[in-house]
Amino acid sequence: MALLETRGLTRRFGGLTALDGVDLSLGAGEILGVIGPNGAGKTTLFSLIAGSLRPSAGAILLDGQPVTRLPAHRRVRAGIVRTHQIVRPFANLTVFENVLVAAMHAHGGAAGHARDRAADVLELVGLADRYDQPPSALTLAGRKRLELARALATGPRVLLLDEVVAGVNPAEALAFAQLIRRVRDGRGVAVVMTEHVMPAVMSLSDRIIVLEHGKRIAEGAPRDVVSDPRVIAAYLGSEAAAAGEAAP
Amino acid sequence: MTVPPLIPRGMARVFLAVCVVLAVLPALDLSLYTHNLLTRAYILIAAALAWNWMGGFVGQISFGHAAMFGVGGFVAARGMLDLHLPPQLCWLGGAVAAGVFALGAHPLLRLRGPYFSIATIGVGEASRVVFTYWEKFTGGATGLSLPIDADFQYQLYWWTLGVAAVVAAASVVIRRSSFGLRLLAIKADVEAAADVGISATLYQDLIFMLSGAVVGLCGGLSASYASFIEPSDTFGFERSIAFVLMAVIGGTGTALGPALGAAVFVLVDTSLLASYPELHLGLYGVLLINIMLFEPLGLLGLGQRVLRLARGPKPAPRRA
Amino acid sequence: MARLADLVVSAVLLAGLYATMAYGLGLIYGVLRVVNLAHGGVIMAGAYVGWVLFDRFGVDPYLAIPVVLVLGFALGVAMYRVLIRRLPRGASGGPASLLLLFGVWLVLRNIAYLLFTGNDRSIRTAYSSSSLAIAGTHVPVTRLIVLAIGLVIAVGLHLLLHRTLVGRAIRAAAQNADSCTLVGIDVERIYRLTFGIGTALAGVAGVLLATVFSFNPASGSSELLKSFVVVVLGGLGSMSGVVLAALVVAAAEVFAVLILPSYLTSAVGFLLLVLVLVLRPGGLFGHRVLA
Repeated sequence: MALLETRGLTRRFGGLTALDGVDLSLGAGEILGVIGPNGAGKTTLFSLIAGSLRPSAGAILLDGQPVTRLPAHRRVRAGIVRTHQIVRPFANLTVFENVLVAAMHAHGGAAGHARDRAADVLELVGLADRYDQPPSALTLAGRKRLELARALATGPRVLLLDEVVAGVNPAEALAFAQLIRRVRDGRGVAVVMTEHVMPAVMSLSDRIIVLEHGKRIAEGAPRDVVSDPRVIAAYLGSEAAAAGEAAP
Repeated sequence: MTVPPLIPRGMARVFLAVCVVLAVLPALDLSLYTHNLLTRAYILIAAALAWNWMGGFVGQISFGHAAMFGVGGFVAARGMLDLHLPPQLCWLGGAVAAGVFALGAHPLLRLRGPYFSIATIGVGEASRVVFTYWEKFTGGATGLSLPIDADFQYQLYWWTLGVAAVVAAASVVIRRSSFGLRLLAIKADVEAAADVGISATLYQDLIFMLSGAVVGLCGGLSASYASFIEPSDTFGFERSIAFVLMAVIGGTGTALGPALGAAVFVLVDTSLLASYPELHLGLYGVLLINIMLFEPLGLLGLGQRVLRLARGPKPAPRRA
Repeated sequence: MARLADLVVSAVLLAGLYATMAYGLGLIYGVLRVVNLAHGGVIMAGAYVGWVLFDRFGVDPYLAIPVVLVLGFALGVAMYRVLIRRLPRGASGGPASLLLLFGVWLVLRNIAYLLFTGNDRSIRTAYSSSSLAIAGTHVPVTRLIVLAIGLVIAVGLHLLLHRTLVGRAIRAAAQNADSCTLVGIDVERIYRLTFGIGTALAGVAGVLLATVFSFNPASGSSELLKSFVVVVLGGLGSMSGVVLAALVVAAAEVFAVLILPSYLTSAVGFLLLVLVLVLRPGGLFGHRVLA
């Protein structure tokens, strides 16, 4: 049984259908990449799974149980947590407090050791020496680590990473990628990540889903998806797809 | 990495010492005027601290807290007049009633920032209108007179001191507890707070109810102190403004700032009332403007800034 | 049926006043993202200015409107320059601007009290008690004039925002202030202007109010509440939104008189506010109103 599943997930905003009948499934310890041109519906998909938005139609299942009606904060307790594309640290709390307040709502309710868990997570992402500084004292990469630490502190089973390496330099991006792998390997966390930075998504993902205009147009191993003519057409137009097919 | 303790030992000791000193103060031949001034101050300290649980901790600025002050006061008064219950029980009854009233305002809590604040203006004004006309309950424009003798009024000093002490201690505990941390997170970014598992509705309801209950308790104490209670004053806009002002003067950024603000307010208010009774509101307004322009975190904020300058350059974490 | 016609006409006339009140608040919020808590105070101040000009100098209140416009504009610009400009922008400035403007309201209230005492005032001209027979009911002349002026203001505002360069700059700043700086628009100047226009409109609303209702230094809260409801309900994108919302609010109030005892009608504004804020999940100008 899949850990996370969506069935026919749809979201409409007035006349615009941002997401149209998207099915996906994710197993424990799997890293699923979600790519697609701008406006394809990636962030909408994330918001729906995380609970910040309600679907217009469709269902979301965790361990086979429907979570579609659960509000965002309940989903965190159930084990689904997200990071934000534009980081949103609590500006009035220190780095440690930011992570602590998340650790208090860990999945499984083992909140009693929140302080220890928060300290552990900060060590993991490499922010332990900044624990009493405000988020404003960190660089963007630092704040992205904080965002990740906060999500990890909730002890998630499903981690939704929204463009987590966007805007950081290649060295940092590499460090992040290693971090994500450690998290998956060490804690068995399933990850759904959306990225524009192709190398990151390609190297990390076990499987990739491609969205265009709210619909899923392709799915498979990174290598296969990248050479799929429909995917190329979505990103570059149909002529490029034809050229790609014609070339040896 | 050391994890800081909940409440430093030193702080608790100082706090207890202050309470003991204040408790024995009347024995030192205090004038009746000062005695009563302090009694009034203790009530306002408690109310301001409780207001700040909403305004400072969770960031929801209420301009309508007088509604709960009034509900608490009148329920307590009615308890004394109709049911002949002992005052302490009436005060508690008032607190409960005010807390329930606050719970009733639950839909308002879904609003953020200015929307919430304007809605509270509406609640305050609507309450004033309704309760002023509900003559059977509040006595209308004439209000209610309470059978409080001078002896009991004298003893109120210790009752109010006790309440203020408990509320002050509660303020510090809440602020430093996981409850307080959640409130601060909600204040910073309510959506991100939900995304890390915090139920904004639950915690806001809780703190609003507590804040309302304490302010309602203060309403009962205030009615006993004055042995009189009247709706247009108790539910009035000036009353709500006073709560805001006290917290802002002292500093909304800390747990105890409002206590300082209330003390300053009582002093200023009594001397103002004597010399310039008609400049009340204007002076409050000017004060608010100046505080917001120059030191939004109030007196304690100013103090922290001075301390930081004295200590020299050091990247201290800024708390809001 | 004549009774119903009465109410409908009343609602329409009242709506004109409410729309005029709401423009100022909405404009300032739409462009600066600041809720002008002094709005009610400025309305009250405008009422007093109109009253003084009438009572001491015999100037007809409707003719005093240009004066009030100028004074209101000057006040708004001064408020922006001296006060608002100094506040931090964005979320951290939120509570500070609320409290600051609230302080301004208190000061205005106190000044009015010192100058004019707390007694109720209203502007009663020679024609204040006259009425015209329209659609089978008697319509007070003053209310008609208020509606007419309200329409003129609505048209004027629309022309300003859509046909002038300044107006276009204002609308651009409302959408995206940073981009404006990039294309060379002096955003500070736009903010100054907007605040001035918003306050001027509030002042005019005050004069109109004074010819129809009585007022005193404590007035302003229910005007603030109602303006707020109209702005939230109607949105800023369209004038028609504001007008429609004003109609809804006015109608609610007029018909509430039928069911509620008289002293509760002032609470109607508040009830509407809560209803509107709680039931309108769509948000305002794309911002989330609800948590």
